[in-house]
Amino acid sequence: MRPPNISGTSLILAKAGIGLRFQHHQAVLDTRPDVAWMEVHTENYMGGGTPLRYLDAIRRETPISLHGVGLSLGSAEGIDPAHLERIRKVAERIEPGLMSEHIAWNVVGGTYLADLLPLPMTEEALEVVCRHVDQTQTHLGRRILVENPSTYIAFGNSIIPEWEFMTAVAARTGCGILCDVNNICVNAHNHGWDASAYIAALPSEAVGEIHLAGHSIKALTDGSTLRIDDHGSRVSEEVWSLYRNAIARCGAVPTLIEWDNDVPPLDVLLQEADHAAGIIASADGARHADAA
Amino acid sequence: MPTLLELQTAMQASLVHRDNEAVSAMLAGHITADRLDIYRNTFLFGLTKALRLSFPVTERLVGEEFFEGAAQFFIAEHPPRAAWLDQFGGEFPDFLRAFPQAKSIVYLGDVAELEWAVNSALHAADVAQLDVAALGAVRPEDQGRIWFVAHPSVSLPRLAYPVDAVWRAVLASDDEALGKVDIESGPINLLVERRETGIEVERLDEQSWLFLSKLCAGQPMEAALHTAGDFDCSLALAKHLALGRFCRFELAAPESFDPIGSTAA
Repeated sequence: MRPPNISGTSLILAKAGIGLRFQHHQAVLDTRPDVAWMEVHTENYMGGGTPLRYLDAIRRETPISLHGVGLSLGSAEGIDPAHLERIRKVAERIEPGLMSEHIAWNVVGGTYLADLLPLPMTEEALEVVCRHVDQTQTHLGRRILVENPSTYIAFGNSIIPEWEFMTAVAARTGCGILCDVNNICVNAHNHGWDASAYIAALPSEAVGEIHLAGHSIKALTDGSTLRIDDHGSRVSEEVWSLYRNAIARCGAVPTLIEWDNDVPPLDVLLQEADHAAGIIASADGARHADAA
Repeated sequence: MPTLLELQTAMQASLVHRDNEAVSAMLAGHITADRLDIYRNTFLFGLTKALRLSFPVTERLVGEEFFEGAAQFFIAEHPPRAAWLDQFGGEFPDFLRAFPQAKSIVYLGDVAELEWAVNSALHAADVAQLDVAALGAVRPEDQGRIWFVAHPSVSLPRLAYPVDAVWRAVLASDDEALGKVDIESGPINLLVERRETGIEVERLDEQSWLFLSKLCAGQPMEAALHTAGDFDCSLALAKHLALGRFCRFELAAPESFDPIGSTAA
């Protein structure tokens, strides 16, 4: 039996949400936490059975966002039509308020490389990504958001600044931007960029979602340090500060707390979401005060 | 200047085969090649974790360190073909059977094969139930032409060793039961499926297994019944239907239907 169209509840408001992990499925159903929305990895729900049943139940009361990692928008050889169709089927069943993917790639030569790999910032890569975003939005019949990456290497042939690459993808395809503020912080450290300038360079009206997460610091053999986007800790003060900056620029935007490794109890995620909600609320308050 | 495809192919060599030569030449001047290790480590860690989730009993039997070492070899030989990790690891049982360092545990490949069947059942697609009323409405003279499509979670592994007993004992952390398993007691026929209660693993006798195998292979009823001998097919069929082992039925076209000719022993 096809579930009724309940698009009213799938709309995601400009409030704080949390990533929904398998280990919290039952707790979420039992406690029905007061959080505005939740996000899941699309690939985790492509099979049948228990996970999909949980998500079906949770989404009846909580708007869901589908965040994919495996579409490989930057693949030179094209995106996998079977994977795109699997994504469409999950969306058909779950009716998500938002859908997103990454400015990255991970498929080549018939192999899925199980990570998010960096693209060279070239015209060729830009053209490939835009072609695949178009193909995806057409197949899904909706707009998607594309997330800015975290990267640990740079290529010799990169000529387009990453923030211009993001802006160009949004402008050419009409897709939105998922602004991962933690990734901007990580990349600014790793590549010597100005994180605030990066945020300021993005088209604020295209930013449809914000991600916040923790990162770690790794010492390299040559004495330098690298920021690693490992989503395994609380959001740092530096990232909260950049987030305030982003909200001031973009206005209230649905904001997700991402925590994928060493996942803490649900309460900790909800605390982080509250912190984000506070920042959204005070930015709203400030804007209303200005308008008075 | 490398093309995008050349760059991506070079990264593949680095991650899958530890061959940094091509991609190192493509990095910006100040980037040291050891940063590539971050990507390789994430690639290996993520895929090893997927294997540990799909083969927990296999891991318990050989230990964490051995499993990780075997996983690294396996990942290099059989990296995932698609961005759907539920499907990653199907070749692991045969890999273990051929893995020289695992030769001493003769039944290890069979344990992994059982675990793969369980894993596949866990993630099998949800499908609608067979229309039992429509099945009951088929005229008696047509019933021989009925053939079934098995529920996607159903599989029927035939294994050389009684590894279901090993599997249960390890999952229950029951060393005593594990010690009692007579590993040389001979081959077993299993039915693995997903039901409301969870994943079920059941031993079937030879005739039950053969009958269900034929039906799951889409052989028409007449053919499956013909080779069943004195086996009580009606009872077995009723049970299979009641437990939702088929997701739909079809009628073979009369002109293509040759019950005697189509049987395969």
